[in-house]
Amino acid sequence: MCSCRTYVPVIACLSIPGLELKAALLRTPTLALRPAALAPEPQGEPLIGPVTAAAEAAGVRPGMRLGEALATCPSLVLVEPDAAGAERAWEEIVRSLEDAGFSVETALLGVAYFETRGVERLYGGLEPALRRALVAVGTEWDARIGAAGRRFAALAAASVARPGQTVVVADEELPQFLAPLPLTLLPLERNRYEELEALGVRKLGQLAGLPGGAVAERLGPDGRRAWGLARGGVAARVRGRRPPAAVAASLEFPEAVGNELTLRRALAGLVDTALAHPERRDRFVRKVALAARLESGGSWRRTLTLRDATADPDRIRVALAPRLAELPAPVVELRLELVELTEPTGHQLELLAAGAEDRTRLRDGLRQVRASTGSGSVCTVVEVAPWSRVPESRALLVPKDE
Amino acid sequence: MVTRSGVAGAAGAEGRVVARFNAPRAARVEANANGTPLDVNHRAVALVREEWRVDDRWWTEEPVARRYFELVLESGENTVVFHDGASGGWYIQRGA
Repeated sequence: MCSCRTYVPVIACLSIPGLELKAALLRTPTLALRPAALAPEPQGEPLIGPVTAAAEAAGVRPGMRLGEALATCPSLVLVEPDAAGAERAWEEIVRSLEDAGFSVETALLGVAYFETRGVERLYGGLEPALRRALVAVGTEWDARIGAAGRRFAALAAASVARPGQTVVVADEELPQFLAPLPLTLLPLERNRYEELEALGVRKLGQLAGLPGGAVAERLGPDGRRAWGLARGGVAARVRGRRPPAAVAASLEFPEAVGNELTLRRALAGLVDTALAHPERRDRFVRKVALAARLESGGSWRRTLTLRDATADPDRIRVALAPRLAELPAPVVELRLELVELTEPTGHQLELLAAGAEDRTRLRDGLRQVRASTGSGSVCTVVEVAPWSRVPESRALLVPKDE
Repeated sequence: MVTRSGVAGAAGAEGRVVARFNAPRAARVEANANGTPLDVNHRAVALVREEWRVDDRWWTEEPVARRYFELVLESGENTVVFHDGASGGWYIQRGA
């Protein structure tokens, strides 16, 4: 069968607001119906995280100062963040979408983009495909999906959709759809919103109506980008992620451990165990995650991308050990995940190992090159301004004719 | 741009200056709406390791306004690219 319609690729955005709180509430589901908020990060600013509907009804808003939130709603319950639990839950959600045939690009915790082009025929059209995606995610997360021809418009559509609903915005309706939406949808710093509000700009439509040059002059490149998004943004393609490797090792302590030396020893053991995992085989580690279950009931997680992919346990240990000092409380379980592994060819080897013999060989080789190609063919690097922030100003290539 | 008195002296002592070391090379970069690279010279970006800005020489007629990205490509190669605010072009640079 042949269709005469020109196919316009649709970008869908899955949004789960307050995923961190929902994941933390899995341990105490009764709190979901009471005024509750995610407690501030132990070492961060005292700002509360996402809040339940009951807390919102009592006047508490996400991002409020803790003192202000408790004054507004004295019965507010603070829920300990479970970063590792939220990551795990999000990973399961993304995998469910992938199992349903969608190629998913994760933007941040609770927000992911996917294209429906490949599965529309399988599910019988755009809307059935989006409904299938919601079914794959499940009802317990209050997920919503927005779809449009452009990425930002899809995010905006997801932000106005109700839980379990899909909102599709056609290209021709885009300006009217975006115009009444609040500026908070834009990726801007807080003081930028205030600056715009002081200028009387409160809606996307008002920002989109301003001349681009004036916005760039007043707010710089970030403002210019925000202006572009307010007009719909660009139709950037969705790039499906590569599913993370499933190599992990964990260690449960008989009693909570806060001593850094003990934790370092435990980490050393975990690195050896994870590297010896048959799934890893001869691949190198590019990205690792260190997670801990805390005595207080919460969890902690840090990910680290290694500068060079490696399978050297000492290097991984050295890279991860400083993170142990960031643990906010004693630990009952420590877990190491090898999140991303390279192929064996992904490892960049050193061209020449430093050594007297190599240097002599190198000098001989350079002499031969100079003899065959003439004066000026061999250069040396001369540092001229090593302090410069502009890399090409730090050193010059100067002919070395000796 | 780099011909200051100290530079000329250092170069003069060693010989003729032929090039700047780690000079940027033009690159074909596809970026998303936030300006984050997705593709460098037709090779997909696996992850962005770091991002930083360099704003320098704003007092001269050749100000430097760059947004740098340290990237890992899907081939496993590490690379650094920047978006030049003045020309609007993308460049690959070593030693950044």
